[in-house]
This record gives sequence, C-alpha cells and structure tokens, in this order.
Amino acid sequence: MTGYSSRVNRDIARWVEKGLIDAATGEALVGDVAANESRVFSFGSVLAIMAALLLGAAILLLVATNWEDIPRLVRVAGLFAIILGGYVGGAVVKARGQDAIAEGLWLVAAAAFGGSIALIGQMYHLSGDESSAMLTWCFGTVLAAVALRSNPLTVAAAAIGVAWLAIVGLDDGNFRYNLNTYPIIAVVVWLASYWTQSRVARHIILLSLVLYACFLAVHHDVTATGIALALLSSALFALAAVLPAPVEALTRLGGTLPVHVLIGFLAGLALVQAEQIDHAGRLVLAALVVFAGIATALYLAGRDSRALRTIAYIGFGLELCFVYVVTIGTMLGTAGFFLASGIVLGIIAIVIIRVERRIRNRLTNQAGAA
Amino acid sequence: MTRNRLLVSAIILALLQIGFLSWIMASRAAVLRNGQEVLLKVEPVDPRDLLRGDYVSLGYDISTMPVKMIVNRPSGAAVTEGGPIWVRVEKGADGFWQPTSASLGTAFATSPAEGQVDVRGTVLSGWSLDQEETIHVDYGIDRFYLPEGEGRAIEQDMRVRSFGILAAVAEDGTLQIKGLMDGNRMLFSEPLY
Repeated sequence: MTGYSSRVNRDIARWVEKGLIDAATGEALVGDVAANESRVFSFGSVLAIMAALLLGAAILLLVATNWEDIPRLVRVAGLFAIILGGYVGGAVVKARGQDAIAEGLWLVAAAAFGGSIALIGQMYHLSGDESSAMLTWCFGTVLAAVALRSNPLTVAAAAIGVAWLAIVGLDDGNFRYNLNTYPIIAVVVWLASYWTQSRVARHIILLSLVLYACFLAVHHDVTATGIALALLSSALFALAAVLPAPVEALTRLGGTLPVHVLIGFLAGLALVQAEQIDHAGRLVLAALVVFAGIATALYLAGRDSRALRTIAYIGFGLELCFVYVVTIGTMLGTAGFFLASGIVLGIIAIVIIRVERRIRNRLTNQAGAA
Repeated sequence: MTRNRLLVSAIILALLQIGFLSWIMASRAAVLRNGQEVLLKVEPVDPRDLLRGDYVSLGYDISTMPVKMIVNRPSGAAVTEGGPIWVRVEKGADGFWQPTSASLGTAFATSPAEGQVDVRGTVLSGWSLDQEETIHVDYGIDRFYLPEGEGRAIEQDMRVRSFGILAAVAEDGTLQIKGLMDGNRMLFSEPLY
C-alpha cells in the first residue's frame, strides 16, 4: 500500500543516515519495496468504476421517468441490448487485458438488469413489489459476479442487498416483509466473495449484519437483541484473539474481524442503553460494560490494528458523551453519578495508559533485542 | 481457453437474465390477453417510487371486506393469520364489480356462477375476525404508474369524481391492471408489451 511504502522509505532513509545500513543496501530495499507494492490504487480504474456507476444511475432514472417519447418495446429492447452488450463486451475487453473497463461494462449491464425489473414492474403496474424486485436484482447480480468472477459485481450485489435491508427495515408501517431473508443474502454473497476474491464485499456484509441486528431489535425486543449482539460479538472477538490464524484463514478479512465485532459489541450495548435510558442503575452497568469491553479489546488487539484503536476511541468518546448528556435526574443524583463515573473513568484511563506504555516498552525491548 | 470460457459465461449469463425478464413479461401479457375483465371502483391515496417513478396510489372498494362475507370463518380464532384470500365478485348495477363472499386460506370449493369471478388477494395477520368488523385485502394492484408529472393532475381529478380500474383476472385469480377509466372514458390503457 502507498501508505506503507512511503513510511518504509522514510525509515530506510533514516537508517542510512544513522549508518545502520549502507547506501547500497538502502537503495536495494527501496527498489524491493517499489517492486512489491501492490497496485491498489489506479486512477484510471477508479474513474472507470465511477463512470459505470453514473451510467447505471442514468439508466435507472431514465426508466423511472416513464418517458413516453420512447415507445415501451424500444425501452425494453434497449435495456436487453445493454445487458447483452455489457456482459459480452466486458468479457471481450477483459480478454484484451483491460480489466477496469471490463468491470465498468459489467456494472452497467447489472444496472440495466435492475432497470429492466423496474421497467417491467412499471409496465404491468406491479405494486408492493419493491422487496421482491430488489431481491431479484440482488441475486441476479450475485449470479453475474460468480459467472464472471468479478470483484466489483460482488460488491454491487452486497450493496443492493443492504439497500433491500434498509428499505424493508424502514418499512415500519406494515411488517409484511420478512427481514429474515437477509441472512440468506448475506451467506450467498459471502460465499460468492471467496470465489471472486472480494474482501470489500465481506466487510460490507459484516457491517450490514450489525444493521440487520438493529432492525431486528426495533421489530422485536431491543434489550434482548442488543445483549445477544454484544455477547455474540464478544464470543467472536475471543475466538479471533485465541485462534487468529484459523479465523483469518476462514474469514480472509486481512485480520480485521476484531474491528467488525467491536463495532457489533458497541452497537449492541448502544441498543441496550437506548431502551434502558430511564433506568439509571442499568445504564451505569451498561456503561461500565462498554468501558471494560473497550479496554479489553485494546489490550488484546489494539497493538496491531490502528482501525481497532480508532473504533475503540470513537466508541469510548461517544459513550462518554452519552453518559454525560443522558443522566439528568435530580441535580444531586446527577452530581453523584458524575463523581462515581469520573472515578471509574479515571481508573480506566490509568489502566489504558499503563497498557499502552507496556505495549511501547515491549516494542522498544524487542527492537533492542533484535 | 480461459478467454473463451469467460466469453461463454458472459453470453449464457446475459441470455439467462434476458430470458428471465422476458418470461415475466410474457406471463403478465398473457393475463392481459386472456383474463376475465372486471371493473373496480377506486379512490386515490399518494405518489412516487424511487426506481419506477410517478404513480397514483389506489384504494379499492373491494379491499374493505366485511368479516360476515367470509364463508369459512375459522371458529375460535380471534384474528386473521396472514395469507391468501379468495374473493368472489360480481358486476353491480353501476358497472363496478362488488364482492359477494370470501374464502380465507383456500380457494372456494364451488366454482363461481355465471357472471361471477374469483379473485385472489392477500390478507395480513392480526385483523379482527369479529362479525361486525372488516378486514383489509391487498390485491397487489394499488399503484398505477404514469409518465413523469402526470400523477398529480389525475389524483386531483380523482378526488372530485369516481374513477375505475379495468383489471384482468388470471387463472389463479391474480388481478392485473389493464386500464384507468374516468367514468366511461378510458384514460390509459395498457398495451400487451
């Protein structure tokens, strides 16, 4: 990654300056870093995907206008032609080695498939079918991703799945759709993501499962769902901490499973606290669990993961603000609570400082020993 | 080899998706072509769909179904279980079709008399099954899609006089919108494709 290579180059320059390594070795190392740098960011590829997304949005909106100047059958035929041309054209371009353009064409074809579903719904006035239309679109896109072994199409399928979840979850007036279809979508996209090597899709699925749990909570029992989410997250965290290698081999998330489950843990306790807002005792208990959980997560996994530290600090900050803002009872009670929580926070702060110092010392010792 | 395989996958994929879409269109068109026609009285309800654009929301007289009309009302159950419902309709004096009876969960045991037709709807769970109550039936035809900008005007008109929806009934009782009627005048009629 670019961030890594620039950091390592700075370090190499410093070692050469200090005389730890000679200039020739330094140059060799810089050359090796440059040669092995993965080409994660290519401006052209990014622009191609962005262009494809814009074209896809244009297709969807053009269908939505129900524009009478283009006869219906012409619209249908046009969309079918885009589906065929996009998939096949992309395959041809891919064979010539222009991967980014191919992925862009495939995305446009997937958008045209979604547009066609919408157009048919419009033509035959199929109402109340957003749910099944989105599901059909999602599974059609998964199929395309698998057939073409496409990473961006897998991400697109995950995104459509999340959009379905959001629409169904927010459809609060009538609980006519079954939210529990979502785990099926998640499993299907997750399995497809191994074949298409799409780590991003797996990240999206994990984050969306937290959202799914939140919707479940709203539709059923907030506190119970929140506690279940927090417990499940803690169990997964423990598993990832005890058996990092097998867990990584199974999830292939680049070692970020702890970050995801920390988000799940914090979301679960946020649900609990949102519902128990009038019960000072339970609120204090939940806040203490949050602080303890964050401290444990930092202790077990904070050293190796900057993302985990960031989430931990944000969670800590939000919890602090929440506790500060919410506990308004009598003035005396509030003052007492602030005093107590201040002491607890202070103790945890000291613990965290110690943990971080120990991590630093261990790193320094290792550097000295090497 | 790999190159050809990818190309073949792409072609099969495109044909599968196009074939699937064509199949939906063909089955819908078949209902319009062959289905029994019924005229239903509507009142407007409010519009716009993210993917499919402007529409007029429609509420149907026959969506409000008195519990009394259910022929197989389950004894002992206080509220409905969600699921299908079949409603037998016949043409009224004013030209609009009205329900005569309903069958919950299963289709009618008897076939409809001359001038009657059975339509299929969905009922949500939790509606009271008390004799004096009514339940709401969803027929899946509560939207009429229009060219952008035309929805509002029609909704305005609907509030002052009665409109009708001409619908086709598929063999399994599913209703499908065929046209929007303003009195006796057809405002929009749907081509097969």
